Amino acid sequence: MREVISLQELKRIAQVSKLELSEEELQGFFEDINNVVSRFEKLNDLDLQDISPTSHLSWSEPPFSSDEPRAGEGGEEVLKGAPQVANGYFVVPRVVDKEEKENEDRRV
Amino acid sequence: MSDFTTTIGLEVHCQLLTQAKMFCHCSTDYIGKEPNTLVCPVCLGLPGSLPVLNQKVVELALRAALALHCQILPQGVFHRKNYFYPDLPKGYQISQYDLPIGVDGFLEFYSRGVKKKVRIKRVHIEEDAGKLIHEGVFLPPGTSGVDCNRCGIPLAEVVTEPELSSPEEARDCLMMLRNIVCYLGVSDGNMEEGSLRCDANISLSSSSLLGVKVEVKNMNSFRSVYRALSYEVERQRKLLEEGKPIFQETRHWDEVKGVTVSARGKEGAEDYRYFPDPDLLPFSIKGEMIEEIKSELPELPLQREERFMTEYELSQGEAEILVQDKEIADFFEDTLRDFNEPRMVCNWITTEVFKNLKELGIDISQASITPAHLAELLKMVDKKEISGTIAKSVLEEMFATGARAREVITRRGISFISDEKELENIVREVIEKNPQSVADYLSGKEKALQFLIGQVMKETRGQADPELTKSILIKVLSSEE
Repeated sequence: MREVISLQELKRIAQVSKLELSEEELQGFFEDINNVVSRFEKLNDLDLQDISPTSHLSWSEPPFSSDEPRAGEGGEEVLKGAPQVANGYFVVPRVVDKEEKENEDRRV
Repeated sequence: MSDFTTTIGLEVHCQLLTQAKMFCHCSTDYIGKEPNTLVCPVCLGLPGSLPVLNQKVVELALRAALALHCQILPQGVFHRKNYFYPDLPKGYQISQYDLPIGVDGFLEFYSRGVKKKVRIKRVHIEEDAGKLIHEGVFLPPGTSGVDCNRCGIPLAEVVTEPELSSPEEARDCLMMLRNIVCYLGVSDGNMEEGSLRCDANISLSSSSLLGVKVEVKNMNSFRSVYRALSYEVERQRKLLEEGKPIFQETRHWDEVKGVTVSARGKEGAEDYRYFPDPDLLPFSIKGEMIEEIKSELPELPLQREERFMTEYELSQGEAEILVQDKEIADFFEDTLRDFNEPRMVCNWITTEVFKNLKELGIDISQASITPAHLAELLKMVDKKEISGTIAKSVLEEMFATGARAREVITRRGISFISDEKELENIVREVIEKNPQSVADYLSGKEKALQFLIGQVMKETRGQADPELTKSILIKVLSSEE
């Protein structure tokens, strides 16, 4: 196994993915991920000097949609599959503390 | 006290005025709607759903980018910005990364009467997230409620270069940007309702190098932008003067306490792992589309402001107040069509009309008075048919009832007394009743004359022509000597 991703980086990836991994799991993923990623290293052998990055393989123009609103499929139907619902809201565990609550909206 | 240079850059999100969301047909009219009623599999990010780009989003963003003198990129690509938060059902936000709609533009505006220019780094489009609520009797303790009605509403993000040099300039720049998007019909620019949101980067430095950048969020009005940034300038200045470090961080503005607060516990969160969204093909922006939109751009606020200054000989300040609201500027110009006295119309609009609007708590578009009605009233003042004082109270009634000036005047039995004979009779009566004031005036007390004019006004219930009253008084009094 070649180390392409360090244990440190792996821990950070787990952190931003909101995953809690045990030491044992970390070690397992460390080996697996490095095995997989090191295979991709092979791609570095290609000479890509004059080639611009490709984001998609299709050259066709995408379809556009018109700006016409239709009734949503909201209401009970969408809430049906949710584990917890209250007053039309999806209920989720609180992820912010009280002090932050005022500031958490409009965060995009 | 050492001298520091302040450097500010703005990131402004504008909600685009589309009827449908960015990638689905759900309505964007979410304010006041029941939670999770304007949603579908696409904006909820359900498996198997596919986004399709609403063409109007591109048009509106192009309009904004062109008005900001941006270079338009021939191809747009959407990226996924990945982060986990309950208001983002897909686990990523569809945004743009290295290929936005427009780059390298500029924005001109006035600040303290001086024309400024700030470069625009980029204009890109992205979708909005949902809303979280943390309080409500129906919510079990330790939980939050998610409303996805806002998910997928289109936004344009405008990013300026860090070239603004004071909180005041940042506010003025933002006001101009808001005006531009309103004039363009791209956004309604309402900061209180969140259709215009502003974040700022601010740093202080004592050398030519930029200082440590602090991001300030959660400023919900022009005033709070100014206050929050002023607070940051002082906070950072103190730290620098005490030789303490400034941390690169995000701080939230607390409107009530008037302070910025560090957003803790966010370390590691700024790793968005952008990659091209495989669900959305790159879209091209054709030359004809750019030309068409360019040719349809309306007169923009700065052009209009400068035209008002040259065409109507208004000061920059006067012109600015009028153009800040497109409807007011239109009202002004429509009034001029019937009564071409720009300065007088400007004065009446910015004082009396504004006062009435404020008292009624309405916009000009909701007012019952029309430009033609105002012109009619001002013509009467100009011809001295009624005094300014009376016109003000007539205007008040016009606002309240929607009646026209002539109706109000006839009903109240008002007429302007500019008949010299009639006025002279009243003046003589007043002189007779106030011997002391007459004596005072004759012994050189100028103030007594004002008192006598006031008495004539009282007698006539404000209907006397003040200039004429004064000259008649002086004439009659000098014959008393």
